[in-house]
Amino acid sequence: MPEISENKIVIPSQPALIRDIDEFVEAKLREWGVADTLIADIAICATEIVNNGIYHGNKEDPQKLVTLQLESGEDEIKITITDEGDYFNPDEIANPIAEENLLREVGRGIFIVRQLMDNVTIRQAEGGGTEVTFTKKIA
Amino acid sequence: MKLTSREEGAVVVLEPRGKIIGGPDATVLREQVRDLTNSGKKKIVIDLAGVDWMNSTGLGILISCLTTLRNSGGELKLARITEKIESLLTITKLVTVFDTYDSAEDAISAFSGD
Repeated sequence: MPEISENKIVIPSQPALIRDIDEFVEAKLREWGVADTLIADIAICATEIVNNGIYHGNKEDPQKLVTLQLESGEDEIKITITDEGDYFNPDEIANPIAEENLLREVGRGIFIVRQLMDNVTIRQAEGGGTEVTFTKKIA
Repeated sequence: MKLTSREEGAVVVLEPRGKIIGGPDATVLREQVRDLTNSGKKKIVIDLAGVDWMNSTGLGILISCLTTLRNSGGELKLARITEKIESLLTITKLVTVFDTYDSAEDAISAFSGD
């Protein structure tokens, strides 16, 4: 089950819990008065990165957690998502818009996040997993 | 995500509802297209009016449906994609891969020339 405290949600790595992530993020952003179209973009990106954490980082091990922290600044929203798997190097992903990769079913998540958000940082988390931080201007 | 379907002559129109963002229910659409293809239904329209948005999981499922149909000599068309999904198809250049139509009827008619 998800554990929610203020602006943070922590889930075990179970794919079905992606719905809880979406509901949590959308509810918080709505509470903070963020425009609907931006809420959708931010929720798309949050679910992208959490799915990466569940499947690729934590390899669906329910003992391993994915944590999402939301922050509301003066004119931007910041989201930090951390998993407990092996560090994932985004440079290893093939370019998803290259002609030869267009029909690949996977490999677009990070690309989409980089297109929709303003700043995206990917680094090794303190515990060894992957920490992804992104921001979006809301004003 | 919930999925309903209807048949218009030789064309099957699938109508998913809800976001396609991952989790166990996201694969229902892919499985339905696979089952239809295996039973000889090879002209399929996915009417996306009921899907506000999707993430790359949803895009991957649409590609899977397209590939399944193409590999068996069939064809997939998309209808009534929302602005948000259109934007994702543009960003990812998948707009060059999918045939999209303003209505399910337009998509169904586009099969008739086959």
